[in-house]
Amino acid sequence: MNPLPARSGRLVILGVAESDSHAVANHLIAMHLREHGFTVVNLGVCTPLADFADAHQRHPGAEAVLIGSLNGHAHQDLRALPELRAAGRLRCPVIVGGNLSVGSRKSEADRRRLLDLGVDHLLPDADALLPLLDTLHAAKVAELQHG
Amino acid sequence: MVDLHGLELDPLVAAELPPWDDILGHLAARPLPAVAVLRAAAGEGRPVVQPRCGVGGQREMLALLGELEPAGPGILSVTIDSHTRLRRFDTATELLRRRPADLNGYPLVSHGWQRGRELTEAVTVPLEVRHGSPDGRDLFAVALAAGITSYEGGGIGYNLPYSKDVPLARSLRAWQQVDALCGVLATAGVVIDRELFGTLTAVLMPPSISLAVTVLEAVAAAREGVRCLSVAYPQGGELHQDVAALRAVRTLAARYLDPAVEVFPVLHEFMGVFPRTPEYANLLILQGGLLARLGGAAKVVSKTGQEAYGIPDAAANAAGIRAAALGASELLDFVRIDESRVAEEQHWIEREVAELVEPVLAHGELLPAIEAAFAAGRLDIPFSASIHARSQVVPRRDRTGAIRYADRGALPFSRPVLARHAALLREVDGDRPRSLIEAATADIHYFLEKESQSLTRAPYRTRSDTPSRF
Repeated sequence: MNPLPARSGRLVILGVAESDSHAVANHLIAMHLREHGFTVVNLGVCTPLADFADAHQRHPGAEAVLIGSLNGHAHQDLRALPELRAAGRLRCPVIVGGNLSVGSRKSEADRRRLLDLGVDHLLPDADALLPLLDTLHAAKVAELQHG
Repeated sequence: MVDLHGLELDPLVAAELPPWDDILGHLAARPLPAVAVLRAAAGEGRPVVQPRCGVGGQREMLALLGELEPAGPGILSVTIDSHTRLRRFDTATELLRRRPADLNGYPLVSHGWQRGRELTEAVTVPLEVRHGSPDGRDLFAVALAAGITSYEGGGIGYNLPYSKDVPLARSLRAWQQVDALCGVLATAGVVIDRELFGTLTAVLMPPSISLAVTVLEAVAAAREGVRCLSVAYPQGGELHQDVAALRAVRTLAARYLDPAVEVFPVLHEFMGVFPRTPEYANLLILQGGLLARLGGAAKVVSKTGQEAYGIPDAAANAAGIRAAALGASELLDFVRIDESRVAEEQHWIEREVAELVEPVLAHGELLPAIEAAFAAGRLDIPFSASIHARSQVVPRRDRTGAIRYADRGALPFSRPVLARHAALLREVDGDRPRSLIEAATADIHYFLEKESQSLTRAPYRTRSDTPSRF
């Protein structure tokens, strides 16, 4: 597979929430992003939030932290986010995707609870990931240019 | 650690066990060990059926076995809960006391061997413990004391699909001890069936990866004295490839194992994203039974019509046993498949397996060689949960639905093998280029697609019903 050069030099941190061992989608998304030129630091399944923060410290240039959660326990797994942010960590867009709560009907309340924790973006489908990253990236570039 | 003929045990677990002579005597007196059932099935050329089944409470487990036995399984399962699999025996015991229904399997270590014996004595068919423990030593000791004559697992197949960070050296050593105790038992005249979990991550598993892993685990087990091996292969979805892979189990055993070791091919009915309508689910279950017979499997592990929705109830499980058995029944003995196509697939599968395992077997020290090969990606498993497998391999379905290598990662395949896979996959993407994620997702949802094509009113729709893909 030859990565498309368009996004080379851009890095994202990827992983699956702490209580979740769904590996398939995680691998597919990593491949998908690499296929499009990203450098992907993939922390894999069952990753505690603190490990995402550590990875961000090691790669401060990361443009986003992507956390997959398929088992409906996203809120429980991300509950330390406000605390980490208060300590000055994970200061980059945090994007959460997957099945965001238990049960088949996703309510606005479930989304709200995650946003209240400080999650920046919620994605029900991986297809929306590249457009979102590109939008965030363009905004960042514009911000740097216009200071 | 307490030592039971080389099997190192948690002292708390060991303290509860009966004396070794009692364990041995009880096992020797079992009227029908698993190996006898497998021999009979292999002799008849018709596989026995085995369901997965396990619930937390003792009464509930006895009731479940009692409900399933009339469906005619050749072997029944004791599927173990997640906490016990991870050796969190205290958590399992606590849950068993307070909320047994919250356990997703039977906590055998918490129940103890006496209750295990209640299970083995409640049914006339042998039991097998199915779990997923990277270190299943304590569970094995309790299973033996319970009179259970078949035990699933291995150092690769019960680690890489199930755990994030258990070093292969650790799981391989734990299973080496399990196998060595089977050797001790075999010497004493008690044959334990050791089943190897070739299903691995259960998603788009190329046959040669499944078989390479089980060959290596089989060689390791045979070196420790194991005398009966069940080698499980997961139904991929293309009949000729699946029949070829099952038949390859015997030829590979003949090539790499001491002839004194009995080897039984086993089919796991489709383990991936399952059809949602009862009709199509049953068709796939029926076809699994047929393919198990055509491939010469001694056993088929059945699925149920409720597969797409979670753990099945007893009635659905019993129906799944019957459907799989019907697929393997004489009513379908007229079915003929394209034998030349099967032979061609089998030739290439065996060649690929040779290219994967022979460099590893060439080393003097097998277990470190396995570990080194995974570290270098010379052995690999797609979609692994573990950081100890690279998961660089990308499988794809070809035009017929057979599973091929789109990207072999660092697997040491020869040029002819790679050329064949490339050629077979070139035919697929003729119509329009798709992103890898789109293509792989379509391949994973293969039977949903088939189902919606077959049934005009299938509930599956390509977009809105697709599970999110994170």
